[in-house]
Amino acid sequence: MVSSNDPGWNNGKDAGKDGVSRRSFMVTLGASAAAASLSQAAQAALPKGQDAQPESDVRGPGETSLTLNVNGQSRTIKAEPATTLLDALRQKMGLTGPKEICDRGACGGCSVIINGNLVASCMMLAADAEGAAITTIEGLSKDGALDPVQESFIRHDALQCGYCTPGFVMAGRALLDKKPKPTLAEIKKALSGNICRCGTYTNVFNAILEASGQPPVMDSAPGA
Amino acid sequence: MRRDDIPYSMPTTNRPRNAGSAISDDASRLDAVAKVTGQAIYSRDRYLPNSLFAGFIFCPYGKAKLESHASEAAKKIPGVVEVEISGREGQYHGHTVGHVLAESPEALRRGLAAVACKWVREPVRTKIRDGELAEPSPNAKTSDILAKADHVLEAEYETQVQTHCCLEPHGATIDHKGESATCYISTQGTFAATDGLSDAIGLPRSKYEVICEYIGGGFGSKLNGAGKEGVLAARLSAGHNRPVYLFRTREEDQTDTGNRPSGLARVKIGFTKDGTILGGLVQKFGGVGVGRGGGGMSFPSGRYNLGDIQSDHDDVRFNGGAPRPFRAPGHPQGAFCEELMLDEIATKAGVDPLALRLNLENSGARKEMLELGAEIVGWKNRAKTGSQAGVIRRGFGIGSAAWGSGQGRTDCEVVINRDGSIEARTGTQDIGTGQRTTMAIMTAEAIGVPLAFVGVRIGSSNLPVGPGSGGSVTTPSTAPVMAAAAARAREQLLTTIANLNSADASEFDVKGGEILRAGKPFMTWAQACAKIGGEQIVGRAKQGEGERGKGHSDGVQFVDLRVDTDTGVVYVDRVIAVQSCGRVICRKTAESQIIGGVIQGLSYALFENQVLDRNAGSMLNANMESYKILGPNDMPHIEPVLWTKGATGVRSLGEPPVVPTAGAVACAVFNAIGTPVRSIPLTPDKVLAALAGGGA
Repeated sequence: MVSSNDPGWNNGKDAGKDGVSRRSFMVTLGASAAAASLSQAAQAALPKGQDAQPESDVRGPGETSLTLNVNGQSRTIKAEPATTLLDALRQKMGLTGPKEICDRGACGGCSVIINGNLVASCMMLAADAEGAAITTIEGLSKDGALDPVQESFIRHDALQCGYCTPGFVMAGRALLDKKPKPTLAEIKKALSGNICRCGTYTNVFNAILEASGQPPVMDSAPGA
Repeated sequence: MRRDDIPYSMPTTNRPRNAGSAISDDASRLDAVAKVTGQAIYSRDRYLPNSLFAGFIFCPYGKAKLESHASEAAKKIPGVVEVEISGREGQYHGHTVGHVLAESPEALRRGLAAVACKWVREPVRTKIRDGELAEPSPNAKTSDILAKADHVLEAEYETQVQTHCCLEPHGATIDHKGESATCYISTQGTFAATDGLSDAIGLPRSKYEVICEYIGGGFGSKLNGAGKEGVLAARLSAGHNRPVYLFRTREEDQTDTGNRPSGLARVKIGFTKDGTILGGLVQKFGGVGVGRGGGGMSFPSGRYNLGDIQSDHDDVRFNGGAPRPFRAPGHPQGAFCEELMLDEIATKAGVDPLALRLNLENSGARKEMLELGAEIVGWKNRAKTGSQAGVIRRGFGIGSAAWGSGQGRTDCEVVINRDGSIEARTGTQDIGTGQRTTMAIMTAEAIGVPLAFVGVRIGSSNLPVGPGSGGSVTTPSTAPVMAAAAARAREQLLTTIANLNSADASEFDVKGGEILRAGKPFMTWAQACAKIGGEQIVGRAKQGEGERGKGHSDGVQFVDLRVDTDTGVVYVDRVIAVQSCGRVICRKTAESQIIGGVIQGLSYALFENQVLDRNAGSMLNANMESYKILGPNDMPHIEPVLWTKGATGVRSLGEPPVVPTAGAVACAVFNAIGTPVRSIPLTPDKVLAALAGGGA
């Protein structure tokens, strides 16, 4: 549970623009270090007042209940404190669209949208996502209707093996939510946290351009 | 748009040059909806109820002895089921020496940490140059050629180790149910993966099924049967009678699942004043780590007339992971050496590199491709090598490829059901090339129905045998055989209709999903299929049937780039990739294959490099943040140009487009700065060293 004086996920209001809170940043120290940050011992080691956590926010060390709002549904799971949001989604909730690829925020394969921001779910504790609105690739098409980004990916064949595709689609959606008509350079920059190993970027750019109502990049005309 | 309403025909207009070049210009990938919605289930997504989780214990150094471990303590960790130490020494970073089995991924992590291996390091060799390399030994003929030549180019070209870095790591989930088993393996060969499982799983081949519906990248590294992941998971699943989930961590995947081996080529090539190449010595070394072979380089490639070449090769071993096939094994490294060598010769002789290649090319098709590519890229704008002065200098380069078309064992079935639905079946897998799509297009075309009528089943060893995804043979194997099977099913249906009407089958035809008699509409597809006796019609065909692709798949690529001579950074602006693959089935997936090849080639040319610590032998970048792969921000404009002139049958496409790129980039950098950089990746430090006169 996120307390009202938590400096991180304060209903999303105080989260950085990239959606990383102080506590989720701790994940970059490694899952075990992050787990320690939540343990009683670690809390006790902090200077008083620096990160005053109410007793109720102390978790673990074993599994505890956790309620996440995913794709518009509130779901309660049991998980250890060190469980990343990605592991919670994939292993506890059966949402395997987000992929674990690099496991350290370098590839974008696990991207989800949290309170409107694109987040690498492998770099965030599930506990830190409580109270936030989480959208995974499974939640992007509503009532059987595809998101325009998904439709455009299909049209432009912006996928090959498809393993990176959920991450790219989410990155494209998050970009268009913030910037409805991005330039090609802006698209490249916005996607630069994602890696595709088959090499499909060209078609991804075109898909996002067209999903935003702009023409794709043309190849040289015949006979040019 | 509703996901069920996605039309199979979704035209795009941004590649006008390729319009009309394929059987289907506008078809979308059949499994695209599953992939863009997260519904495509990969082997790594198979979390089964009651599953155990397994992981390897491995050596973190290039060479070390296992002095002690705390496996007894690890066994006492709650949730740890089993700890086994099976080896006592490591010969490379990633070398497995045991495993841990646990009730959950968390318990597995704690168990692996608790094993607390203590290693005693030993001295290591980490690269080709650490080995004892034979001196060049030109034979009498080679010596004679070199003595008579006006000029002799002496150079050493070097390539790095590239890891496959499949986004889905190597691994398997094995579900042993006592009397039978289901094996979800991330594999490029559904049938190859059945090999070697019988013993581990303790069941005859008839009692287990390998399933690989989707695979998150392979590039050659997932061709090795069930792999040690599959074999261990099978053994553990059989032993505990529970599902076992075993997937490599990124560190293990980067060190222990194969690579494109490094290469070193020393050349002494004689040529005349006008650039005619007489021949000489090409002495090559392949850096195979602890592997036993696989370090060969395709140099000379045979694409150019290089006179009499004496070609020597040695594999050099050191403390690194062994190679595995990697998208055109031996070819990109060979093409890098050969293309840059040609540009060095052309520059010395004062000949335009395009003119030199047109003169040396052994293929008429590639000469025409060179002319087309040169026109598109604007070769006429190329400045002479070494003639530029500014901070930013522009360069143009050329590379080429040729690829034969093989076939693998393929049985195909096409089923027409009484309800009118059609299913095309073979057990092969889709590595991302669009197998489902090409098979459906071939089936629909052969029967004469819209693509939407056809469903496809692949990725199971219980289906008719299909080829492994290696050697670019999958589509050349399945396409003709599937078409033959479909034609047979169609013939059976028309015979049924003819018999019911006491007519001859030759009177009937299928067009656009309608049955015609004597050219006139006779009945709908649904009406016809309702007449099928029994439940269905099955058309079958096997390897050797259908129209096989003949000849080579050829390709040439042109690179247009800029070099910042202050920073040494190379900015690639455009790549024009002209590629043939015989008859193109699906334009969009073919273009994607070409673009993907170019991108992997650029990444190889500019960024990727497995770095081993020269003291410890550990891979310093066994991850994805410092093992740099080309990302969206590094992307040039890439134009895939489908060359269909003289196309007969379906030929290979997967591997050839990755071959020319690195050579073309190296030539373009040379053209821009006037000094060759003879080592890839072409990182800023090497470019600056070349500019400073340090050579390669």
